[in-house]
Amino acid sequence: MSIQHQVEISHNLLGAIGGVPRPEADVVVDARDVNKWFGRLHVLKDVCLQVKRGETVVVIGPSGSGKTTFIRTVNHLEKIQGGRIFVNGHLIGYREANGGKKLVEDKENNIARQRQEIGMVFQRFNLFPHMTALENIMEAPVHVRSQPKAEAEATAQALLERVGLAAKANVYPNQLSGGQQQRIAIARALAMKPALMLFDEPTSALDPEMIGEVLEVMKELAREGMTMIVVSHEMGFAREVANRVVMMDEGQVVEEGTPAQIFGAPTQERTKSFLSKIL
Amino acid sequence: MNRLRERGIRPALLVGFLFIVALVATGCSSRSHGTFKFDGGAFLAYLDPRTSPLQSALYLTVAISIVAQLLGVVLGIFAALGKMARFAPFRIVANLYIWIFRGTPLLIQLMFFFYGFGAAGIFDWPDDMLGLPAKGAIYAATIILGINEGAYMAEIVRAGIMSVDPGQTEAAKSLGMTYRLTMSRIVLPQAARVIIPPLGNEFNNMLKTTSLISVLGVIETYNYYVTQQGLKFNPFEAYAAGALWFLLMTTVWSFVQGRIERRFAKGTTPTADVRGPGFASRLMALRAPIEQ
Repeated sequence: MSIQHQVEISHNLLGAIGGVPRPEADVVVDARDVNKWFGRLHVLKDVCLQVKRGETVVVIGPSGSGKTTFIRTVNHLEKIQGGRIFVNGHLIGYREANGGKKLVEDKENNIARQRQEIGMVFQRFNLFPHMTALENIMEAPVHVRSQPKAEAEATAQALLERVGLAAKANVYPNQLSGGQQQRIAIARALAMKPALMLFDEPTSALDPEMIGEVLEVMKELAREGMTMIVVSHEMGFAREVANRVVMMDEGQVVEEGTPAQIFGAPTQERTKSFLSKIL
Repeated sequence: MNRLRERGIRPALLVGFLFIVALVATGCSSRSHGTFKFDGGAFLAYLDPRTSPLQSALYLTVAISIVAQLLGVVLGIFAALGKMARFAPFRIVANLYIWIFRGTPLLIQLMFFFYGFGAAGIFDWPDDMLGLPAKGAIYAATIILGINEGAYMAEIVRAGIMSVDPGQTEAAKSLGMTYRLTMSRIVLPQAARVIIPPLGNEFNNMLKTTSLISVLGVIETYNYYVTQQGLKFNPFEAYAAGALWFLLMTTVWSFVQGRIERRFAKGTTPTADVRGPGFASRLMALRAPIEQ
């Protein structure tokens, strides 16, 4: 792929933030029987998922299967009505009341603190348009973590270099291509030194020729040991990088296994029919 | 003329502006309507900025407008956030405030909170609020204008906040930002772009609306000319001069607004760095459109 040559990510990506951020526990994500309703629509049905330190899990499934909703519950962008989600051993978004029988939504400040440990990359990038690329990356370290500006800027500059966009530091997002914006969005999330990265269809809004450069950064991250959950339709990426592939349909985890198992010998009918449509 | 044109100011319109002055000053004086004779000397004397009572009247108009507008913006932001709050009592208070102050005449608000409150002994506006010496009526006027303005600003701010992509809030949250940080660093700066053009119009209105506070006895620009024409019995010359002063203030403001809008436009369009005319000056058409 010629695109891969254009993007020079020669050095260690995580080196820019001082190595792999160490999660406190070996199991980084532990989702147990997660249930969610949108009104009367039951969108997540007893979803369970464990992600170990350094693992890359790719979630696949047809649209409307709840995969995006699920990944958004992991950093509490979506509320849940049943079950528990632990990240690094901490219950996300809620505290238990009434002897563990009831979930009460946590205080805003606590939720915000938990989210600092969880990076997220969105389908539509969501860079801050009134800030330059560099300012986008520095924003949270400076204003959330109260890092000194000089330190945050050095880290941001190093991250920009690692995603191959050192020259774009002072450029506003609207002057960048989709692929460049998404690479900056990844750098912005990494600047908070998260223990876990969530990717919500990171290449779905990109022109085909830009998908490669973003996937390349993600592969790099996975290889360096970042813990990742990726919702994606990029089966090539899943095959190459994922430790595990999770197939979701109608709000349920239908099947999970290694890429070889899921793509080579799926056991469930729904997985087979889904894969036959997209491969 | 060419130097003006280089700076993007259309000479034709500048001439037009001066023409109005000339028309009133000389054109009218040559004709007589019945027994009326235009007093050009009195008119020019009314315009003379060296007159010290006029200076203080103009100063009051501008100062009260600025302070009242700032108060209005702050109240408007809080009222907008209150209106959009999840906590019901905040919503109720914000809605009540907007309902009352948009639903009653400003003139009655001024009279009620100054004379009404004074008479009922609820609140007598002191002559030295916040340790600053001025007439109680000036404080009352500024604060009531500001509170009234806040009710209008609330809707403008709310529209601005709603114009910001929800993805921005999600991105901010996912980085661990609290509601306050998300609002102050991410949402409001982007909402400002949408808020500033109507805010400029609000301030233009505010400059002129201050004439209403004459009912509290404040000698601002309008009231200055009311009292002057009462002494000299020349309302035509006095009010023409007053109108021109207001026209000058709103015109200057439209240029300032254009500059502010350009500053807030950064990062909006790929060509935002081009020094183009702002909304207000385009509206006024005092600057030629930039060629690209």
